[in-house]
Amino acid sequence: MLLQRFCMRAMHTSRQLYAGATGGAGLEKSALAALRKKTGYTFAHCKKALELHGNDVSLAEKWLHEQAQSLGWSKATKVADRATAQGLIGVLIRGNRGSMVELNCETDFVARNDTFKRFVDHVARVCLYYTDLTEFDGDLWKLGFDTDALKNLPTEEGRTLGDHLALLIGALGENATIRRALCFKVNNDLKLVGYTHPAPTNVGTIEDITQVGKYGAIVAYRSEHKLIDYEFNKSICQQIVGLKPKKIGEYDKDQPAANKDEETCLIHQEYLLDADKTVGEVLQEHSTEVIDYHRFECGEQTERNLEEIIRSQHQSSN
Amino acid sequence: MSHAFAAAVCRSAAPMALALRCSRRAMSSARMLRLAGASAASAARRDWQGQGLLAAPSTGNMQQYLREYANEKKVFERTKPHCNVGTIGHVDHGKTTLTAAITKVLADKQLAESKKYNEIDNAPEEKARGITINVAHVEYQTETRHYGHTDCPGHADYIKNMITGTAQMDGAILVVAATDGAMPQTREHMLLAKQIGIDHIVVFINKVDAADQEMVDLVEMEIRELLTEMGYDGDKIPVVKGSALCALEDKSPEIGKEAILKLLQEVDSFIPTPVRELDKPFLLPVENVYSIPGRGTVVTGRLERGVVKKGMECEFVGYNKVLKSTVTGVEMFHQILEEAQAGDQLGALVRGVKRDDIKRGMVMCKPGSVKALDQLEAQVYILSKEEGGRTKPFMSFIQLQMFSRTWDCAVQVQIPDKEMVMPGEDTKLILRLIRPMVLEQGQRFTLRDGNLTLGTGVVTKTMAGLTEAQRSELTEGKKAREKKVAAKK
Repeated sequence: MLLQRFCMRAMHTSRQLYAGATGGAGLEKSALAALRKKTGYTFAHCKKALELHGNDVSLAEKWLHEQAQSLGWSKATKVADRATAQGLIGVLIRGNRGSMVELNCETDFVARNDTFKRFVDHVARVCLYYTDLTEFDGDLWKLGFDTDALKNLPTEEGRTLGDHLALLIGALGENATIRRALCFKVNNDLKLVGYTHPAPTNVGTIEDITQVGKYGAIVAYRSEHKLIDYEFNKSICQQIVGLKPKKIGEYDKDQPAANKDEETCLIHQEYLLDADKTVGEVLQEHSTEVIDYHRFECGEQTERNLEEIIRSQHQSSN
Repeated sequence: MSHAFAAAVCRSAAPMALALRCSRRAMSSARMLRLAGASAASAARRDWQGQGLLAAPSTGNMQQYLREYANEKKVFERTKPHCNVGTIGHVDHGKTTLTAAITKVLADKQLAESKKYNEIDNAPEEKARGITINVAHVEYQTETRHYGHTDCPGHADYIKNMITGTAQMDGAILVVAATDGAMPQTREHMLLAKQIGIDHIVVFINKVDAADQEMVDLVEMEIRELLTEMGYDGDKIPVVKGSALCALEDKSPEIGKEAILKLLQEVDSFIPTPVRELDKPFLLPVENVYSIPGRGTVVTGRLERGVVKKGMECEFVGYNKVLKSTVTGVEMFHQILEEAQAGDQLGALVRGVKRDDIKRGMVMCKPGSVKALDQLEAQVYILSKEEGGRTKPFMSFIQLQMFSRTWDCAVQVQIPDKEMVMPGEDTKLILRLIRPMVLEQGQRFTLRDGNLTLGTGVVTKTMAGLTEAQRSELTEGKKAREKKVAAKK
């Protein structure tokens, strides 16, 4: 997505130059204005670029793009110790692969910003790309990434995700981190479904679109139905996002908890859409079996979670 | 007339204060001695006041009592109209420095208490109505107005602040650094201002000491453009340029202190003074209704706004009823009152209505000033489990009990832009009341489910009344709804 933006900028260059030239007397003023408008870099940086290049807009712009990376990094190191408690979860499902990422930032204003959302999408796609590269023909494969691993992930044009993150920090002026990511790959008769909350009510398809929200869930399931029942699958994800089950539970082993509201087994929980039934009953009605699931909550404590992810990954690959 | 009010309150306040003292005396003997001295002193003061009662302004008496009751605290003097403002802007653009600079500049004029950067910066966690908000409140005054100044770190905190109503903002100061210009998220800041109903924004371009004139002008242009794009009148919004840091460090007064004073002047003139409750048409939520033999029907309650006098026309609204009547007498503490003002707890004698016609939950108001509604749009904060809320999320069609003023009513909830609402989230909801009740924009309410407080909110928009079909749908069960959906297909 960043690449795309650079391309856009390049396209605009010629037109802006023309506008600058016709400016005549107020050349210097329009040079700064044009540069700022075109690049979106801070006024201070645009000014510096123009000073260094004797008011040549195209040279200054080139310099700015070259410098953006190092400026981003210097901003990133400056704000590195500031807490990032807000952010977004992104969930991307494409066929039999899926990725779920968490990005953090300082204020929820930034989390609502489109630039930030686009970056979440970008990270989710990079993670999915790595899932694609892995050869695997078992039933279910999971891979968790932590912050450091994610920063070092190379992107298609030869930079790392960390570089991209620094650029984002440079643009937003706020600290941001890519906290964790989880990739899923399923084969044979298993399917994946993802959901984030809050979700807009009128979306047609979720295939190959990164959903973003404060909570996210990916579910791997096996269903006897040929046609995919999106509404039902979504409701299972909602159940997981909303009621935070600790495990799926087994019909013959786990007993329902005495207090309904404290039930931590997915199959024994009250179904969110119909309180008279348990999730287990509804799943059986739809002849669906939940094989595995994962739930991300933005800003939750996770030390243990990540270990679990890695452990379960070992189990499934064995 | 205000004499009578103050005297009545004083009379009731004095025994209460003494009673409190007695109970404290029992607690510790050491304190007893001190308190004995204090009560002796206060007794003496009361004598002095008894003489002064006729001449002194009535508020003085109130203050005197308050002062002895908590004599460490300064008494707030209500001499200027009050206005609430807030700062919004990027984390690094100097919102807090500006707030510190404002207090410092005004402190030099003895109009505020100077607050240091780190005294404001922490945006302490506050609990208002059981909701945790990160918010910093600072107060100061200019020559013409008294200000409450709010600063929050995040969008959700501003929303919670709006909902709990600790300080509804009348206007905002948008802070932008001249070195950076508008950031991507500045758009989100303006969206927030729109969402919490701020119509008046004053822009402060900060850090001009680190930028040149050209940059400052371009930043101004950019901000005006963005404001216009977001639906504000970008060309008319006042923009002040300066450096909060210079003001704080007493350097270059033309961009420091003078810029801050210029900003305050713009805030004074551009952000309108909110209409005082006292100047609005009167409204009294009915708490109790009595029938007094030989006199008639008396309604009691706390006058929420306006002024009530004997002989005024009034109207009772609520529970599908509108009754016209006339106030034939106003009393407070069993004494006749010539005029009751907003805030007074009063009893009003009304002509020609029976006790059974009026119910708790109705409002008595100036005829035609309010309407009963059964559909509205609201911004609601759903309490998290830690705040005593529910553990589970909820979906559309949940039935809840809504409490506001003195009434409560069953409502059906519709979630317009999400599928479910998690505890700890703020959200827009459409509420449908089972019967029309008096509701206005800006009115606050609580939503409860059984014995649990689910959330609290504020009415953001009143909507058209329900049609008959819609109303019958309110009482329908889930099965009936599903059947209808299936029939449509």
